[in-house]
Formats: sequence, structure tokens, C-alpha cells
Amino acid sequence: MAKSPVRTVKHLLTRPIRLPRLTPYVPAPDDPTIFWFNSERDDIIREVTRRCVERHVHEQRPLEYVLNEVAHEEVKRLESQRDDEARDSLGFWRGTMRRVGRMSESEKKETLRLICERMAWDIAGNFDPRIYQFATRAVPPLLTGVMKPSALPEDLMTMASGTHVVDEMLRTEGDIDRLKRLAKRGTLVFVPTHSSNLDSIALGYALMREGLPPVVYGAGKNLFTNPIISFFMHNLGAYRVDRRIRAALYKDVLKTYSCVMIERGYHSLFFPGGTRSRSGMLERKLKLGLAGTAIEAFSRNRVRGIARPVFFVPTTINYGLVLEAETLVEDWLKEAGKARYIIEDDEFSQLDRWLAFFRRVAQMESACVIRFGRPLDPFGNAVDDDGGSLTPDGRVIDPGTYVQFRGVPTIEPRRDAEYTREMGQVLVGEFERDTVLMSTQIVAHALFRRLVRATPGVDLFGRLRHRGEVTVRRDDLAREVGQMRERLRDLASRGEVHLSELADRGDATTLIDRVFAAWNGYHRRTIVIEHDGQITAEDPTMLLYYQNRLVPYAERVAGEGDLAAAREIARLG
Amino acid sequence: MSTPIGVIGGGGFGVGLARAIARNGRTATLWSRRDGEVGERIEPTRDIAALGRCELIFVSVPSMHVAKVAEQLGRHLDGRHLLVHVSRGLVGEELRTVSRVLRELTPARRVGCLAGPISAKSIAEGVPGGGIVGTGFPEVADALREAIAGPTLRLYQTEDVVGVEVSAALVGLLALAIGYAQEMGINPAALAILATRGMVETARIGVSLGADDRTFAGVAGYGDLIAAVAGDERPELELGRALGRGLTLQQAGEHAGAYIEGVTIARRVQRHAMRRGIEVPIIEALADALDGKLTPTGVIERLMSRRSKRE
Repeated sequence: MAKSPVRTVKHLLTRPIRLPRLTPYVPAPDDPTIFWFNSERDDIIREVTRRCVERHVHEQRPLEYVLNEVAHEEVKRLESQRDDEARDSLGFWRGTMRRVGRMSESEKKETLRLICERMAWDIAGNFDPRIYQFATRAVPPLLTGVMKPSALPEDLMTMASGTHVVDEMLRTEGDIDRLKRLAKRGTLVFVPTHSSNLDSIALGYALMREGLPPVVYGAGKNLFTNPIISFFMHNLGAYRVDRRIRAALYKDVLKTYSCVMIERGYHSLFFPGGTRSRSGMLERKLKLGLAGTAIEAFSRNRVRGIARPVFFVPTTINYGLVLEAETLVEDWLKEAGKARYIIEDDEFSQLDRWLAFFRRVAQMESACVIRFGRPLDPFGNAVDDDGGSLTPDGRVIDPGTYVQFRGVPTIEPRRDAEYTREMGQVLVGEFERDTVLMSTQIVAHALFRRLVRATPGVDLFGRLRHRGEVTVRRDDLAREVGQMRERLRDLASRGEVHLSELADRGDATTLIDRVFAAWNGYHRRTIVIEHDGQITAEDPTMLLYYQNRLVPYAERVAGEGDLAAAREIARLG
Repeated sequence: MSTPIGVIGGGGFGVGLARAIARNGRTATLWSRRDGEVGERIEPTRDIAALGRCELIFVSVPSMHVAKVAEQLGRHLDGRHLLVHVSRGLVGEELRTVSRVLRELTPARRVGCLAGPISAKSIAEGVPGGGIVGTGFPEVADALREAIAGPTLRLYQTEDVVGVEVSAALVGLLALAIGYAQEMGINPAALAILATRGMVETARIGVSLGADDRTFAGVAGYGDLIAAVAGDERPELELGRALGRGLTLQQAGEHAGAYIEGVTIARRVQRHAMRRGIEVPIIEALADALDGKLTPTGVIERLMSRRSKRE
């Protein structure tokens, strides 16, 4: 059956497009590590394949089981996918299942090698310095064009790299000079909070703008379905993670790939929560997943006598408005903890929502604040300006001692898994202290707390049905927001949280106006209605989503009369 | 391997550990503020820096002193050191576990907790017994076994460190209640109800702090509780009995010969439970009794008058 032209084009566009090259790019000595990636790629894939095969050959489980499992899982997946990929590879997997019983040991090993290599190729990214340079110059005016069409002509004429709207909207905070220094001494591993698919784009752009080196990161294969995004992702160092593949062998290849990249000094980005926060809350339980490979990479380097340090950089990405808020919160409530892992039909894939979103946030000052927290060694110790690991009493110690047993560095997966778990706990605390609270979240918290007070003893789902039943006078709300902000400032002065500029400085009435305008201008659902100085909480679900960011602080920002309601909110976490 | 093994704290448990280490043919460096035990292969010291030379260090001080000791000890440690504590307590209003305090105040990360029905006496004298070590680090469990395990001491292991620590702290509190109830002449069935329902409350608190509830059904929880019910003469039982006889807390404490963690923990756990919306009627009654708000008969009346419900 012939494919329709549209399908052909789409099919071509989702393949990794690469610009043709007449002469190989020769990186300059002070280029970031990633500029060397293409010249190292074959070697990396060879190394990943070799390690995976070796591990399985030395394991107790017979290779036959390993091959059977992966073939079985892949056949099951492809049969349900019924797409081009299925047409291309089902035959291979079915054949493997049929033949594996008759294979000799060396044939099994060769088949395993072939599978690992194919998986590694599928994962591996590409990095094209030319596209990086182009993106650096072109992205700001393009985004400006989307957001403020009126500001575009002179930008396009000059391609000036001056200040663009996007630069006003995206603030970065934290000790960036220190990160630059550490990037030269070791490998940076950024571990940010995750609330939107815009996160990796925003963070990638922020790194570029601040003169920090680009990072490699694993992106869900579902994000590669948009041809434009796919083109940039592929060529800016993203590698593909296919979440549909359930075979254990694939996860193994993925982890090995990530480990090898960090060992070789590629600065990396991982979302330790694994997926976007459905509830809008800060992640409280971090599994770290792939980020754990940074600790393994550190150990492996030490065993080989390479002392390159690894620095985790806890980062919070804070939005006044969240592009996919409506879909995410519905998903959280629907599944109540069993979230659909891959959402393919949310606002991220709808161009009109992008436009609505960007036009709205363009009118908000600092619509997104990225805050880089204090860098940590893989064992949760703070580091000094030169990257030395600091003890609680301020001595500099060798982080290599953590992977030694009886004075010798060792590779010990169970130990490193435990270090990873502990890093997860450390990050939860760092995220809490590095969060920048936005005015939308503060106003939502004040309104939601009133709803909780008005509905004692009702469970969450019961409360969400109280649409339009809680009303508050504007000046009462302003007073409450003002008091909450005072308490937040107090917390901020003690280093327990941060506030966005508007939340910190704007007077309460301005704050409320801006928040309502932002909500009404972007969200399809009406969150609040104002009539005659009376404000009605129209959509408790959206209020819940935005206020969820304050769950860890609920008791600390509550006055005497709000304590019981604040406790109920705190228990959501 | 001839590195000495460190022990911090010269109380009954610390000395017991030092003797077990010596019995296993290793040298124990025993740090204590008092004049410590001297024996073959037991080297007392008052210089905490001496412990930096050890790889494995036991921390055997009451939980309210852990922070102070950890700060001093931390100055001499790095990533090589393995710490195992035997403190039965939770610290502060947040109920922080002792292993967390050790991780926060020292550079050591490879930390574990030794608990369960293990007693100072069984360790010191090598009579049959057992316990459980909570740690996610295989090398901590291995080093611990090498240091103190013997033909009569069975040591189990779990990765649920928080579960072991919460069990150790709250079974201590239940032991106090059991001693108290025994003094009041409680019958076996009522004692069983007190112990099992007390364990249910313990597990609820544990889960709220991140523990796995299965831990409470094992050696760390019920194992420890059964030893207390069987009357293993732990100080908490003695303190409970003294209170049951109507002694004041001060007098009972002197009588039991040890400051007991359970006295302050009851109220802190009750407050944590209130914040989190967790029901803990037994722990609440105990906290009231320890604060002098309830008489022994008042405790029984309050607990027995609650409506029965599904388990």
C-alpha cells in the first residue's frame, strides 16, 4: 500500500535530519565538550555495546532468557503499535524468538551485541555546532515574533542579539560564575524540577544565554514527533528515550549510554522526578532513574584513576503560568497517582495553545524563573569555589573516599544505588529551599485555603465539586495575600524559599489584578470571577494546581485561624 | 585487616559492643567521657580524634546527645568511614532519625542502625540472641557482622533504615507502657491488645516518616516487642513499672538507672500524629500519663472506653 504524501513527509521529518557536511567540524580547544560529540559518537556506541554485552555474558542468567525476554517484549509492543517501526522490525524480533533455542552460545552473544548496538544507535543523539550557533542567534527573535508580533520587524532586519522579549520573560538566578568555573573542572549534572515540556527548552536557552556549556539530555521519543522541535532536539544534543520499550535490556543500554557520556565529561541534564509533576507540587519522592548513572560514572572513573569530579546542580524551574496545567491536573485527579506516563494530546502538541500561552506570558514580567541552586558532589556535600567537597565543619575532603572500601576504589552497584537514593532525599530539601514562588501560586493558595476552611471534613474530591460556592471580598483577599506575603518574606530572609520579583514587591491589589489577568488571558477554564468587588472561586481544580506549589510551606505561612486548613493542605504532600 | 573498630559511649551497650569486638579478635577503641572499661584488646580513649583511624565506628549514646557527639566526631571523618548507631530515639519535633542526624552533621554517608531484640547483655556475654541491621550499604552490614557476629548472634539485614529506627524508638515506648501495665496487674489478653495495637500505631507513624510497614512485622518491630513482653529486663520496662507503682518521673528515672528516650518521645510523636492526621490513642494516653495529666487508672479507662472497630 502506497503511503500518502503527507505521511511520507511526516515520516521523513521525524527521522534524524542532519545537515550535510562537506568537511568535518574540527572543534577548537576551548569549545564545550559537546562540540566533540560527533567525532566520538561511534566510539561511545561501541563502548556502550561492549559493556552491555559483557555484563550479560557474565551474569547468572542464560543469554537465552535475556534474548527471549527482549524479543517477547518488543513483539508485544510492535504488534500493538502497528506503525512504520512495526513494519520494519517485527520480522527481526519474531525471527529471534524462533531461532534463539537453536543458537550456539556465540550466535546468542552476536545477536545480543547486534540488539544492543541497534538500541544504542537509536538512543544516540547528534550535535551540530552550526545549528547551535544558529539557534543562539535566531531563537530570541523568533520567540519574540511569536509573542509580540509588533516587535518583530527590526529584530528580523538586524538579527540583533540584544535584549528580546524572551529575555525579559526568562529570569535566571543563582551563582552562575561559580557554575562556569566548575564546568571547567568537572562534569555538571543539572537536576531540575519538572512541570512542563517547555522545561528543557527554557533551561537549554538559559544555559546558552548565560554562557554556560550546552548539556546532553534524554528526551521522550514522543517529543520528537513535532518535526521542528525534533530537528532542534536532535541537533542540540538530545538523545532519544523510548518510554514504550519495556524490555529490561533497553533500560540497561540507556543507563550505560548515560553513564559513558558522564564519564567522558559531557555535561548532562536529567529530570530526577522522571516525568512532569502532574499535581503542580514540588516532587517529594525522587527516584532519580538515569541521574543515578552520574554516581556510577564517578565511581568508574575513580577505579580507572580519573579524578574528574561530578557536580549535581539542583535547579528549580518556576512558571507563573504552566502551559499544560489543565491537562496535567486532570490527569493527576483521574489517576490519583497512577498517571498516564505519556501524554501525547496535551497543550504541548497544539500550536494554538503555544501562541495563546506565549502571547499571555509576554505581558508578564519574568514568566519563568530558573534558579540554579548550590552545586553538590555526588554524596550530597556542598562544594567550594574550586569544586572541592566540603564537610559540615568546612574541611575539604576527597570525594573519592566515598567509593573506596579499605582504601581502594571499587565498583559496587548496590552502594551506588543507595547513594542515589540519598541524593534523591537531599534534592527534595534543595528544591524546597530553591523554589521561587510566583504570584499566581500565592493568590491561588489564599483562595484554596478559604475553600478548605469553608468545607471542614470534606475530602479533596468533594471540595473540588464546590464550584463557585466560595466568595470573598476583594479587600479581604488582598489583606490575606498581604499577610501571606509578609510570612513568605520572613521565610525568604531565612533562606527557606524565594519569591519572584512581583510576588516580593508588588502591592497585594496589583498582584491580584495581574494574576487574574494572566489566568483569564490564557486558561480556557474560568478560574475566578469578579463581580462588584466580590471574588468567586469558580474552578477549585485549577486553584488546587497552582496552590500545590505552596504545600510544603502551608503551615509556615498560615495565621492562627488558618492553621487547621493549612494542615489539611500540607497533608496533600 | 587490623584496623581498630571504634565505639562511642561507655554505657552498657557501648561496653558490650567493645567486648564483642575483642572476643572476635579485633581491637576496640572505646571513647567515653567517663573512665572507660579496660580489657584485653579494648583501648579506652578520651580523644575523639583517635576514632578517625577506624573504618567502622559504633555510636552508642542516647539520641539527645547524638548531635553533639556527631559534631565532634565529624571533624575527624571523611567518606571512608562506616557508622552504625544503636540509639533508640528520634530527634526533635520533626522526629528526625539518628542516621539522618549523623549524615547531616558528619561527612559519613555509609550509615546503619543496629536494633531489634538485641540486648547489651547478649552482646557482651555472647549468649544466644539476634538483631537486625538497617542499612542500604552492603559494606556496612559486612563490616558489622565481621566485628560482632558470632556463633550465638544472628544478624538480619534490611534496607529500610527508617523502619528499623522508628521501631527501635517506639518499641522502647511500648516497653515502658508494658512495664506500667504489668505493674497495674494487667491480664495476658489485655496485654496482647495493648502490644498489638501499640504496634499498629508504631507502623502508622513509621509509614508517615517513609518506612515500609512490613518492617514492623519483622525482627525490628514484633521481634523487639516480643522480647520486651517476655521481660528481657530492658530499662524501659523497669521505668514503666516504677511509674506504675506511683513514683514520679524523676524518682522512676533514678530507680531505673538510665535516662529513657521514651519519656520525651511520647509527646513529640503525639504532636506529629496530630499534624498529619494519624490516630494514636495509646501513644497519646501514654504522653498524658507521663505529663501527669492522667492517672494509671485514667489511662486504662480512656483506652477501654474507645469504640471497637475493624482492625
